[in-house]
Amino acid sequence: MKLYNPEVEKAIAKIKEVKAKIICIQLPDGMKPAAKEITDKIEAETGAKVLIWLGSNFGACDIPLGLDRIGVDMLISWGHNRFHKKAGGW
Amino acid sequence: MKILLLDAPYSGSVELCKETIAYLKKKKYQKVALYASVQFVNKLDAVKKQLADNKFTAITSLADRADVKGQLLGCDNYHDSLHLEKQDFDCYLYIGDGKFHPLALVYAQKGRPEAKEVVCDDPLAKKMSLITIDDIKAILRKYRASLMKFLAAKTVGVIITIKPGQEQFRPAAALEKRFPEKNFYYFIDNVVSFDQLENFNFIEVWVNTACPRVGFDDQEKFRRGVINLNDAFLAEETLGKESVMNKI
Repeated sequence: MKLYNPEVEKAIAKIKEVKAKIICIQLPDGMKPAAKEITDKIEAETGAKVLIWLGSNFGACDIPLGLDRIGVDMLISWGHNRFHKKAGGW
Repeated sequence: MKILLLDAPYSGSVELCKETIAYLKKKKYQKVALYASVQFVNKLDAVKKQLADNKFTAITSLADRADVKGQLLGCDNYHDSLHLEKQDFDCYLYIGDGKFHPLALVYAQKGRPEAKEVVCDDPLAKKMSLITIDDIKAILRKYRASLMKFLAAKTVGVIITIKPGQEQFRPAAALEKRFPEKNFYYFIDNVVSFDQLENFNFIEVWVNTACPRVGFDDQEKFRRGVINLNDAFLAEETLGKESVMNKI
């Protein structure tokens, strides 16, 4: 957590801006131990409910599916920036 | 649903360690191709300045799947991902920790006659390490065997993961036209369920269309062998040319 800036303030500002109520946080393996700290902070400062994605976070290509079915308004995925998919197999 | 991506950038300053500078000088390298993971990419200007101060030239590029110049993703491991084919340089220089990202630079060279080494500078450990084609010899041997197996196979399993950033069903379906003598069966999954592969024992060899690193790094999890989709289309050509993969 100290080596990499988790930018939680940026996440909180965005949650407030879009008025999200249910958040899913997706962390790379190295940041998963910080899930409690991030969850507690987001819930305390925004009042939103945070769900922690248990599974993989291989990259921005690996966005979880089906979250909207349980009412998730916003996914926050750490460790990656925008991914430019190449169509055509490679 | 809204999506917010956060880079989690490295908080400290980045400076090449003495060992890295000494190694580049010892090898008489003059021009390096410079890349970093997203956590370190915003520190590359400082690295470029340090290289220039030591009379090295740094080049870089915007890789195919990356969002910013100089950023390296593990999946930009295709021969043309970095668009450096016409550039002349002595080695790659990678800034970051771990081996996953810099290994992409080695895999990308499997089809070339010679491979350049990847000098890795880890700003956390303040250490230098090298990654060369020797580090992936065993994987490339298996990969070559899987390519041969694919060409001989009649029944092929194609793995497609459904996440929008990964899904490649239509490009994969083009295999049927390219190889009309083979039977292709398509397997859909959320992530690749390695533990399920053996249940489909009629499959002779697998074609991976998810992350291209699955075809290399997870080679051992596919008892019947696996190749990536792009290499399936190019299998004969890949096996027939003089390349580092075919020499080992």
